[in-house]
Amino acid sequence: MPDNTEQAEKEQFDSNSQQLGLVYAKALLASSGADAELVIDEFDSFVDDVLVVTPKLEAALCSPRLAVEEKQRILDKAFSGKMNSTLLRFLKVVAAHERCDCLREMRVAAKTIHNEQQGRVEVQVKTAEPLDDAMAKTIRDQLASNLGREVLVEHQVDPDLIGGLVVRVGDTVYDGSVVNRLDRMRASTLQGSSQTIRNSLERFSEQSD
Amino acid sequence: MKFKADEIASVIQKEIEQYDSQLDVREVGTVLEVGDGIARVHGLSGVMAGEMVEFPGGVTGLAFNLEEDSVGVIILGDYLKINEGDEVKTLGRLLSVPVGDAVMGRVLDPLGNPLDGKGPVNATETRPVEFLAPGVAERQPVCEPMQTGIKAVDAMTPIGRGQRELIIGDRKTGKTAIALDTILNQKDTGVKCFYVAIGQKDSSVAGVVKDLEERGAMDYTTVIVSGASTPAPLQYVAPYAGTAMAEHFMFNGEHALIVYDDLSKQAVAYRELSLLMRRPPGREAFPGDVFYCHSRLLERSSKLSEELGGGSITSLPIIETLEGEVSAYIPTNVISITDGQIYLQPDLFFAGIRPAMNVGISVSRVGGAAQTKAMKSVAGGLRLDLAAFRELEAFAQLGTDLDAATQSQLDRGYRMVELLKQPQFQPLGMVDQVMVIFAGTDGFLDQVPVEKVSEWESGFLAFVHDQKSDLVKTINDAGKLDDDAKEQLVAALNEYNKSHSAPSAD
Repeated sequence: MPDNTEQAEKEQFDSNSQQLGLVYAKALLASSGADAELVIDEFDSFVDDVLVVTPKLEAALCSPRLAVEEKQRILDKAFSGKMNSTLLRFLKVVAAHERCDCLREMRVAAKTIHNEQQGRVEVQVKTAEPLDDAMAKTIRDQLASNLGREVLVEHQVDPDLIGGLVVRVGDTVYDGSVVNRLDRMRASTLQGSSQTIRNSLERFSEQSD
Repeated sequence: MKFKADEIASVIQKEIEQYDSQLDVREVGTVLEVGDGIARVHGLSGVMAGEMVEFPGGVTGLAFNLEEDSVGVIILGDYLKINEGDEVKTLGRLLSVPVGDAVMGRVLDPLGNPLDGKGPVNATETRPVEFLAPGVAERQPVCEPMQTGIKAVDAMTPIGRGQRELIIGDRKTGKTAIALDTILNQKDTGVKCFYVAIGQKDSSVAGVVKDLEERGAMDYTTVIVSGASTPAPLQYVAPYAGTAMAEHFMFNGEHALIVYDDLSKQAVAYRELSLLMRRPPGREAFPGDVFYCHSRLLERSSKLSEELGGGSITSLPIIETLEGEVSAYIPTNVISITDGQIYLQPDLFFAGIRPAMNVGISVSRVGGAAQTKAMKSVAGGLRLDLAAFRELEAFAQLGTDLDAATQSQLDRGYRMVELLKQPQFQPLGMVDQVMVIFAGTDGFLDQVPVEKVSEWESGFLAFVHDQKSDLVKTINDAGKLDDDAKEQLVAALNEYNKSHSAPSAD
């Protein structure tokens, strides 16, 4: 899904809409109360299964040429009864404020806030080869006991790592990959040896006379 | 020369054997946008202001602006290799530069990388670039003279070790020349010199380095260059880096002299950075904290107390004014921070009065305490005499008839002005200055034609050094001009004048 990753990057990079997303997400979670889990799941599927699949709908919702009432009518017609009523009301409010372009950021923010509230933490794990289930479980348990919280592991495979494991929690990266260790070894060896050679040049060279 | 491959291999093998692998824990962020020497980074939630960060490819930066959802980073290096989306990691340390004897005689960039092609800088120590200035208890008043070797400066605006003396003037008025003469005059005094070139043409810097090299001053001088083509972050950091190198000597009880050439360019670089970081512009579009930028730099020049070794940093910041406008923002700021200023004027410069120092408004607020007794005794009234002369001169231009007393005062003034002229790269020793200024103020030059004054000066100095070397030694050792020495000096002056009046009368 190259399209999707691009979208994901976009979500990360616009700090203004991120700010907006945070505000709306807080409001959504507060109003959904105990149904938060369900609302977020439905929100997820609304973005992934509706907006991504039918870009025309998204374009229509984002378009300033369409009247607010029209947008709300479309939402009502399409989702009334099929969707959690809080979520539907929320979407209508977003449409009324002409903020449908930030729906993706709202989704990400809502997920993050909800996870935080539930004491869960998202962790990205990168390995060189796909993990088998037992290994995945070991990693998850280990991380959970170290972080003292429930972990949601997002796993990626990156053959460039050669071996080992890279774990990212928030902004902190724990890098135990082979490629990183090799890089650092190379740097320190280069520096150490050049220092030694510079300090006692005569040991390493002979005058060719 | 042939390299022994197996020796080198064994060293590398040892390094690898000693390599201790630890888990690499780092805090990261992502580059949102990059350009003009700055980058905005998302993430890095734990980064501290002023902390170093590293971009892929080894380019470093400084966290400059901490905002709610992004971090503004100034990039110290080639920002063209950094792309949007690159991973940035914090390094957990502050920007440091190599210091110590290894940097002497070198031409370096503000990060301490060599620019002179003389191989790597083998420094064992480093110092943080930003460092808090010594506090009140750690200082003592300025008490030792810092001889510039320039008659006009040493006589009328004396500089002490630990002082900040501003050199201010329009372009092409000889600002750098005064600074260079001062560096040349530090030969054999043990004072380490630092010349920080900010935003200058690389050709001018090459000229300065050549001048210093030719006159043997590079042995005790370090040149820190961030030329006009280097990005603004490096120009902004350069003076702090130079000061860090000088501080190493100060805290080891030695003396250092640092020239910032010039701080107006640094202020412009800082303005560029701040505007790119979207900090609100203030007067002349400079950010509000441009005063702090200069005050925290110049406060680091100080004279340490005896308990701390008594080391010092003397600084000569240079400010370029536009059309003599000293009331612009940056000049007034730096004038108020420094302990005095040497004001250079283009009209004096083009009238042939070099150094083109305007005596009336050039001052030194502390240096008088550090002036040698000998100089103080002969030059005490010089400033006032010259000021009175300037007034009379303007009056005399009206063409009125003058009485004899006024005429003689004018004549002496002309000779004093002539005597204070000094060619570049010819610094004079303290005793020489004392003797010629004594001759001028006490009327021993009244019979010498104005255009012959410089000739008389060099002739007299040669005469004294040849035939009266014990007198020179006496004044030098005593550091003052007592009655006995004064008598001898008067006798020498009379003797010289007698022997040379005959040919000049023809």
